[in-house]
Formats: sequence, structure tokens, C-alpha cells
Amino acid sequence: MTTTIKDFDVKEKIQWCPGCGNYGLITALKGAIADLGLLQHETVITSGIGCSSKLPHYVDTYGFESIHGRSLPVASAIKLANTKLNVIAVGGDGDGYGIGVQHFVHIMRRNYNLTYVVHDNQIYGLTTGQASPTSLLGMKTKTTPWGVIEQPFRPLAVAINGGATFVARGYAGDPVHLKELFKEAIQHKGFAFVDVFQPCVTFNKINTYPWFQERIYKLEGHNVEDKWAALKKAYEDEETDYKKVPIGVFYKVNRPTYEEQLPQIKEKALVDQKIGEVDLSGAYKELK
Amino acid sequence: MLFSIRIGAEAGAGVMVTGRMMAKCFTRGDYHVVCYPEYPSLVRGGHNVVQVSIGTSKVYSPPQKCNIVMALNRDAVFYHKDFVSKGGVIIYDEALDISAFKIPKGVVVFPVPLAKLIEKAGGSPKMKNTVALACALAMADYPFDILAGVIEDEFGRKGEDVVKKNIAVAKEGYDYVESKNFEFDIKPLSKNRKMLLSGNEAIALGAVKGGMKFYSAYPMTPASNILHYLFTNERKFNIVVKQTEDEIAAMNYTVGASYAGARSMTGTSGGGFALMVEALGMAALAETPIVVALVQRIGPSTGMPTWTEQGDLRFALHASQGDFLRVILAPGDLEECFELGFEAFNLAEKYQLPVIIISDKFLGEGLFSADRFNEKLKIERGKIVKGLPALAPNTRFKRYELTNDGISPRVFPGTPNGMHVGTSYEHDETGFSTESFIMRTKQVDKRARKIKKLLKDLPAPKLYGPKKADVTIVCWGSQKLPVLDAIGIFKKEGIDVNVIHFTYIFPLDKAAVEKAFKGCKKTVMVENNSTGQFAGILKEYCDFQPDFLLLKYDGRQFFGEQIVEQIEKIIASKYKGKREIRIHEKEDLEYYNPQRHGL
Repeated sequence: MTTTIKDFDVKEKIQWCPGCGNYGLITALKGAIADLGLLQHETVITSGIGCSSKLPHYVDTYGFESIHGRSLPVASAIKLANTKLNVIAVGGDGDGYGIGVQHFVHIMRRNYNLTYVVHDNQIYGLTTGQASPTSLLGMKTKTTPWGVIEQPFRPLAVAINGGATFVARGYAGDPVHLKELFKEAIQHKGFAFVDVFQPCVTFNKINTYPWFQERIYKLEGHNVEDKWAALKKAYEDEETDYKKVPIGVFYKVNRPTYEEQLPQIKEKALVDQKIGEVDLSGAYKELK
Repeated sequence: MLFSIRIGAEAGAGVMVTGRMMAKCFTRGDYHVVCYPEYPSLVRGGHNVVQVSIGTSKVYSPPQKCNIVMALNRDAVFYHKDFVSKGGVIIYDEALDISAFKIPKGVVVFPVPLAKLIEKAGGSPKMKNTVALACALAMADYPFDILAGVIEDEFGRKGEDVVKKNIAVAKEGYDYVESKNFEFDIKPLSKNRKMLLSGNEAIALGAVKGGMKFYSAYPMTPASNILHYLFTNERKFNIVVKQTEDEIAAMNYTVGASYAGARSMTGTSGGGFALMVEALGMAALAETPIVVALVQRIGPSTGMPTWTEQGDLRFALHASQGDFLRVILAPGDLEECFELGFEAFNLAEKYQLPVIIISDKFLGEGLFSADRFNEKLKIERGKIVKGLPALAPNTRFKRYELTNDGISPRVFPGTPNGMHVGTSYEHDETGFSTESFIMRTKQVDKRARKIKKLLKDLPAPKLYGPKKADVTIVCWGSQKLPVLDAIGIFKKEGIDVNVIHFTYIFPLDKAAVEKAFKGCKKTVMVENNSTGQFAGILKEYCDFQPDFLLLKYDGRQFFGEQIVEQIEKIIASKYKGKREIRIHEKEDLEYYNPQRHGL
């Protein structure tokens, strides 16, 4: 069984705003999945709620559209229940860095073998334009009429500090580069995190395609195993007053995954274990 | 025969373990045992007590009075002196000055030189509880070798030296008291050993037997011992147990694992359940079967964290936005905890909906004896499909097919040709989001149709006691236990009172409920909450209204004696008294602030 990018198309029309960064992102993601030869039925994409989180409906694999901020816990459990599946969690910046940030912080400690893609458009889109955790200082939105006065959330720095074993940033305006990032992320054994700049053409009038084109550059010659170098790169945008915004793999190391440390699922995934045959006589004896 | 011992000390002194060890001594002698801990939400300080009650026939709940109080500190004498029955004994540490307390007539005080006994046996001061335990057992004239066996099992993992020393100090205490010759005469009934476990552990065992493969939870009293028990045994049972960052994650993990095909469960108390509510609705809309054990404690909010109540039934029934079907089960004893722990998964999977097992601190943390559990239960997983025909290109599987019985075929990721989206969004038959007025209505109706089949799967309420009675007590969940003790007392007094107990709380079959109540003369509803939540639900769904409502919500379950007293009053009033009766304790004996009592 082989797959092509066409296999992942759905008959329903994709309904994001014309020009939305999500189009670049989904093309790159489907391309990566197809290039890696992942099978449709062995792949599960989970999402939260938001524009980004409509993605599972537009890729013909198994999918689970959960509730706002909960893409990661659902994805985690799917992986724990069936380690053979390719699990990709997606969500937005509000979804993952706002309402669901506790899951982001803790999943990195666990290092499940799954991929997390954040559609980072620095704004709340589906709720029509409120400030998000990654909205830049001074940005005027419906909820910050006088400009953002909260320090933006730093997803990459948080991920590097938090124990993620693969940390990358991509740009939806460069789907070719993004596809390669996704491929590397999916192939990484452990928790792979990709923050994707994905311009919201309707509500974010600051971080537009031209804004990114002027600032983005691809990391080269960067030592991905050096945590301090990675952190430095993660702060480069802020430190250069957003004159230089690097994309690419920031950090990549190996650590045992959570699930491979569980002897009870070493031989067989949970869902493949026969149920109804557990012998409780030992447990009863212990209670006597 | 009913015999009861209380062991009291300050929090952190280890009386929980001591109580469990004592209870185990008796289950190893084939006694029926109830071992109930009461403690404030403090790691140190305050007052803790464990009451171990045993009987030759079934003991359901702790009686108000006891025969022996083992006081490990001075506070314990103060708290329990008035609850010793005539002829009973208060054993206390000789080092304590209890002269300020008025000991009731007919109660003997018996000082024991705990420190000296420990020293004599070469033990450490930490072993005070072991000596005390031995003293209480010696007073009951219960054989020492059973205690020695329990000590060996309890302390075995701490090494041989610890075991030896504990047995030595126990022997010292035992011999000291035995030589004084008390009149109690408790002997093992047979060589058969009963099991001793909490309601929570029974739910866990039932779930495991029922094929639960995944449990995720966040620690919360009084549900935590499900988590502890499952973690301890996860490798033996071949299950995955996950402690999550919060209850939001716990419930979302449960949904995720279930979507992937594993029987999954979570457990919590009211506050944690509040955080799970959103994902509970998701499970309902995505038709992902999940089981949640809701072990109630006092609310609202933090309430009284370590005390019991049946105050979350309405919450369980109405939790989450929108209309959807759910099942609520309320076990009333250990055996029902096991059975419903098992059965919950069958119901969840057959009907693809959330099942809530509602229990409480009393049943969940109380330890009870049992001989065996129902091993005849069978796993039924409902409509799970495999080997699917090829789909037309770029179309998806109809996971939410509009079927006659409302139950659609379920397929797990990994199955070829089963691709679809499980979703919290209203959807068409393949799971694709929709806001179609027609499809929305059809999907709501489809999900709701399941009730027809479901109701046939839910047993009617059970009758206990004589078929005909002047008074019928109505109760649900854990309060069955004190109610059955009350029935026992009535029987002795020659008064015919029976019980209708609900374990299958929701949905309710009106015809079955009407049939159960047919022929009842006067009904008294007994609920461990302040508003009669289940009475309200019965009124709403079955148009049933009890004649009397007996409510208690001070942190404790009902006592059998209390129920008897109130019903006798009702009978004496020729059923003309107040319709709503609330239990008010006469004396305030809170354990959280002993200093309030001048201690």
C-alpha cells in the first residue's frame, strides 16, 4: 500500500479565508505525510477548536476534533492506547498557548512519540480578532484597543526549557521548507514540536506575509543539540526587535519516550491486548 | 453479635494503617467487618479515628457506639468517651492525664504503660500503634498469632528486623492486657479469610475485570485510592495508568484512549468533576464511551474535603451544556462497586455514551469485608466494526450513521477504510462538521433513541426486607448500608420496615419504578444531602413523592440507630409529623480544631 498526496484530499471544500496561512500549512503537512508513506488508516490527527482545528476534517486520515485547548491530551492518550499509530496533534496559538498551555508544558516532560503543530497566527481568528498569547507588544486588537501590554508567550523557549526533544519553527509562506520540517518532526522519536507562523489575512494586519518575508531567514550551521545555542536562537527575534526571525530546527535531542518505558505495552499495544482474561485471584489473595 | 473498636490519635500518627491491620485480623477470622476512617483534611494535627466493627452476621456500617476505645492521645479520650457502650473500656496511654474528662458510668478506663512496654520489648517509640493494636485485641481475647501474621504482611517489605521488633512489642502489649482478664470473648469464626477492601478498590477491580485498559486521573480525596490501587498493580493487570496535570487532561485522556479503542476510565470527586465537565460533553457528542467514578465529598467548592455526602447527584445528571443521554450508577456496597465497575464499561460501549459511577467518601474510603465477587459478568462491546469494504476515493466512513436503534458502528484508528473524524462539533454521518438544521435534528434524535434499548438493560430498584411493611425506606447508593443496619434493628424490635434501593439511578424507567413502589404504605426517603436530590429526580421522571424525607449533611453518613430513631418518631406521630426531617447533631465534636474544645 502506498499513498500519494491526493489520497489525503477530502471531497468537502476547505473553508479558510482566501490567502490564509493554513493553506500552505495543510499542503506541507499532507505532502510530508505522503512523502513518508504514512498510511491513511494508521494516522490520527487531533485538534482543539479554532480555525486551525478544522484541519482534521480536511485531511483524509482518522481525526479527532476535540475541544478548545485539548488537542494534546486527546492525542497523548491515543498514542498510549495504540503506540502503532502515527499521531499528529494540531491547534492554534490561543488553543495551545492560552487555554491549553498546561498540556503543552507537561507533554514535553513526558516525551510521547508524537508531533505537535501549532498554527501560530498571533491572533484569535475564529472569535474574530482578539489578542492571543503570541500577539506582539503594542498590537491593537478588539481586546487590546490601546495595544498589547503583556509580554508575548515564547513557545520555542518554553519548549526548549520544558524538555521537548524536537523544537522547530516554520512559515506557512514557505510550504516547501515547512514540508521538510514536518517530515523531520514526524520522523523524530519523541515529542516533536513545530510552531508555524501562519498569517491571518483577515484579523492580523501586523504580521502579514510581507512582514514575515522581510524578517524570516533559515537557520544554517546551527548546532541543534546545543540547548543554549537553541535558546539564544529562540530569543533572536525579540532581541533584534523582530528584524531577524529564524525558522528551521532549533533543538533536537534523544531521550527515551514515555511509552517505551512502560513494560505493559512493550510487546503489544493496549488496544491489541485481549480483554476479559485478567486473573484477579492474586489480587484477591493480597486483600485477604 | 456486633462488636466495635475505635482507635483515635492525632493526624499523622498512622491510625489508618493500624485500623486496617485490626480489620484484617478480623477478616482473617472470617468476621464480617466494616472499617471506617474519619479524619480532617490535615497531614498533621487534628484528630483521626478509625472504627472497626465486626459481626458474625453482616455488618453494613459503623454503629454510633463502640465497645472499646483505644486512645493514643488525650484528645481521643475526649472525643470518644461518650460513645462507649455500657461495659465498654477506654484503653489509653498511661502517660496521658485524663483526669479532666468525665467518663460515663459503666465505662471502664484502663491505662497501659505503652512506652514501658515498648522499651521492655526493645522496640522504638514509633511502634506505639502496634502495642495499642495488640492491647485492644488482647482485651477482645482474639488470638495473637493472627495479629503476628498481619504484622508480618504489613511490615514485611520493611525488612525482617522491623517485623520481628513489631511482633515483640505487640506480644508485650498483648500479654500485659491478657493477664488482666476482660470479659470480651471474640474468637475466629473459621479458618476462612475474607477479603478486606474499600469501595474504591472494588470499583477498580471491577473495572479491571471488565477490561479497563486505561485510567487517567488527578489526585483528589476521596477518589485517590482508585488511582493508588491501579498504579500499584498496573503491571500485574497490564493496564496503563496516567496521572495527568489536572482533571481537564484526565478526562480528555480518557476520551482519547477510548477513541483509540481502549476501555478507559477516570475518577475524581466533585471539584475535579467540575473541571471534567466540558470533556464529558465532548464524549457525549463524539459518542466516545467513557466511565467516570465520581466519589463525592462535601461541597460546594472545597467544602469539607474528607467528609462524605451525596450532594453531587444533580450535578452528575446535568453536567455539561446541551441535552444528552448519560447513565448514572450508584453502588450501595462492595459487591455493587465491583459489579458496576464492570458493568459500566458494557453500558458505555454498547450505547456509546458517558457512564458515571457515583459513590462517596463513606463507601469509597470505608473498608468492608467480602467473600467473593460476581465472576459471571460478561464483556459486551457493542457495535465495533472491522474488515470494512473499500471507501470511494476521498470519502469517509459513516461513523455516525443514522440507525434505527440510535447506535452507530464504531471503528478504531488503525482499521483500514474506517477513516472519519470523531468530533465535538455537530456533524454529519461521517463526522464532518455540519450546521444543517436537518442533520442536527437527526443526529440529536439518533443519540436520544438509544434510551429505548438502554432502559431494557437497566435493572429495577431492589427490595430488601419483608415484602409487606408499614414503612418503606427509599434510598440510593451508599446509604443502603446504614439503612440495612436499621432494618436489622427494626427486625429485632418486631417492626416491619423494608427498603427500596436504587443502584441504577438514571435514566429511570417510570413503569418499573411505579411497579417497585406498588403496595408501599408509607415511604421515607433517606438521603445524605440537604435538598433531597434523588427525591426530586424521582418526582420529575417518575412522578413519585415520598411521604417523608430524612436528610443529613453534616459530613457523616447516616447511622443505623439514627434512622431507627427518626422512623420510630414518624410512626409514633401516626405519620402526622413534619414531612422533612433534618438530622442535627446535639454536640459539636469537630476533629479539625481540637483546640476549640480546649484540647
